[in-house]
Amino acid sequence: MAVLSKKNRSFSPDKLTSNRALFWIAAVFAIVMIAPALWVLGLSFKDNTLLMRGSEAVFSAPYTLKNYTDLFHSSLVFRWFLNSMVVAVGQTVGVLTLSSLAGYAFARLEFPFRKTIFVIVLFGLAVPEQAVIIARHQMFSWLNMHNSYLGLMLPGMSSAFGVFLMTQFFRAIPKEIDEAALLDNTPRFRIFWKVLLPLTMPAQATLGIFTFLLAWNDYWWPLISATKKDMYTLTIGIASSQRNFAQTEGLGFLAAQAVFASLPVIIVYIFFQRNIVTAVSGGAVK
Amino acid sequence: MSATIDINSVTKAYGALTVLDDISLSIEAGEFVVFLGPSGCGKSTLLRMIAGLESVDKGTIHIGGERIDTLPPGKRGVAMVFQTYALYPHMTVAQNMAFGLENLKVDKAEIDSRVQSAAETLEMAHLLDRRPTKLSGGQRQRVAIGRAIVKEPKAFLFDEPLSNLDAALRSRTRLELAQLHQRLGSTMIFVTHDQVEAMTLAHRIVVMHDKKIEQIGTPMEIYQRPATRFVAEFVGSPAMSMMPITGIVSAQSSDQKGATLEVEGAGMVATQVPLPASFALDGATMGVRSEDTHVVQPGADGLNLTVTVVERLGERTLLYGKLDTGFEMIVEDSGRSTVRAGETVKFDFDRSALHVFDGTGRAYHMAEEA
Ligand SMILES: Nc1ncnc2c1ncn2[C@@H]1O[C@H](COP(=O)(O)OP(=O)(O)OP(=O)(O)O)[C@@H](O)[C@H]1O
Ligand SMILES: [Mg+2]
Repeated sequence: MAVLSKKNRSFSPDKLTSNRALFWIAAVFAIVMIAPALWVLGLSFKDNTLLMRGSEAVFSAPYTLKNYTDLFHSSLVFRWFLNSMVVAVGQTVGVLTLSSLAGYAFARLEFPFRKTIFVIVLFGLAVPEQAVIIARHQMFSWLNMHNSYLGLMLPGMSSAFGVFLMTQFFRAIPKEIDEAALLDNTPRFRIFWKVLLPLTMPAQATLGIFTFLLAWNDYWWPLISATKKDMYTLTIGIASSQRNFAQTEGLGFLAAQAVFASLPVIIVYIFFQRNIVTAVSGGAVK
Repeated sequence: MSATIDINSVTKAYGALTVLDDISLSIEAGEFVVFLGPSGCGKSTLLRMIAGLESVDKGTIHIGGERIDTLPPGKRGVAMVFQTYALYPHMTVAQNMAFGLENLKVDKAEIDSRVQSAAETLEMAHLLDRRPTKLSGGQRQRVAIGRAIVKEPKAFLFDEPLSNLDAALRSRTRLELAQLHQRLGSTMIFVTHDQVEAMTLAHRIVVMHDKKIEQIGTPMEIYQRPATRFVAEFVGSPAMSMMPITGIVSAQSSDQKGATLEVEGAGMVATQVPLPASFALDGATMGVRSEDTHVVQPGADGLNLTVTVVERLGERTLLYGKLDTGFEMIVEDSGRSTVRAGETVKFDFDRSALHVFDGTGRAYHMAEEA
């Protein structure tokens, strides 16, 4: 693939110009996308009072680290960060575990009402969170699970998409691999764990990344479930510190919080770039 | 280690569709048996029943005297090589071979030595650390065979293991399999629909057709004395030519060795095949293999063949054509044949190499020489 495109690049002038055009189009898009992020980054280094006059101030000195030192002195931000981390990691682990087990079951096991249950799971894809949130709130309140990590994580763990994705992935693995393992005297769980699960790694990565990002950025459910300040996630915490009208005060501080909150997401992107590209392009890029 | 395999009245159905009907078969220890038959005749199903990958509806299977059809696949002491190889993609070649032994809690040093010796046998010691995705088709095939060898099974089961290889590699691997069998002396069952593989590898061929075993015999028996019309037409390339028998002039005269028949397109034919009085004439045919035919001089006795296609195979030439009566016939000529399509030639056939089939497809042959 790489060899081929290199060849094309050196031998075909048409390809050369079209590659250049693509580069510039991509560059323009990239700039449009990254500008607001850079803007926020800039704001986070500006004094709050300067920004009250107008955010153009971001283009000129003086810059300050005060917002960040304030951030590190406000004790709750770290608590919120920890909460977000626990919830996002817990939810991701939960989704991967449950989706893999369910996917294996739907793809490989015979049990009564398998097809019906699978269809019901697929309906889950079509049900918006808004439709069930009141009932869910009521349920968690009866169970006394609001303001707990479990309460924050559990709803996100039932991922219809995850079950669907893993089912499709397990189905795509040839049955002969299971059969070879059976002839190798492998117990069923060991076949799942040692033979099939490693083959689903690309799907695990995709599902894991998306679940983590979704959980990290989730706003609505934590807003309902976490009512005590020390159970806030970052999204809720940051929003809660935004009190004055149109945020004319403390804009720099808010930006610093936002930068801080997006660090894990950025780290995830940097580490899993390749998986994300593959996932988004539907496996077309190899 | 090798063991006998006894299949006793085995039946298999998928829902209403019966795939195997009352199959019985005994395989000797160390024997190389090939299941041969057209696509969909149930060869794979029978093999997978021996392996334990399909359940047995009725009947029993014993390996080495022990009943195994109720045991899980891993406890039957058999190893299988799949058509698609079914290697574990995320494991190296060595790990692929070791995996089954690890499950059996075989000693680590023992595993290493078995893997090493299998790799040497198959000349792939340099591949041990590679993943299957980095191997060619032929190499993957070897790994699949290696994975079977290290288990030191009572029997090897192969399901069309050569069909994904190119022609040259296929014939080489075929030879290597034969050598491997000689070295290991294990019982082997090999499924194929390729008759060349069957003829070259098998001690005995089991020809299967339509839920049943059609014939069990050595390659030569199958070829020279096919039990049924199906076997006669399925085995041999090109296929045996068939001519309808319209009458029996004499079933078995005392001075002659066999029956004299009235054959459409060939007239009176004095065969060496004795026929019983109960012979079912309706739908009966006489079969001739192309190698038992020869082109004769224009003036000589013989039948006319209007040639439609000439197939030059180098050492011989096959003439596909029609008799005067319109029946299709394949005649062999020498490699230097100058016959061209459209021409009419005269040919004759060897009266001592005829096969006679009655209306039910049952075959009759000349008496075996004592
Ligand atoms: N799981 C199944 N469910 C229903 N029918 C099946 C199943 N497996 C096989 N069959 C049917 O059983 C018959 C025998 O199949 P089998 O795979 O044994 O054929 P085969 O002789 O190996 O053919 P081939 O040479 O194409 O591999 C076929 O008609 C097939 O459609
Ligand atoms: Mg088959």
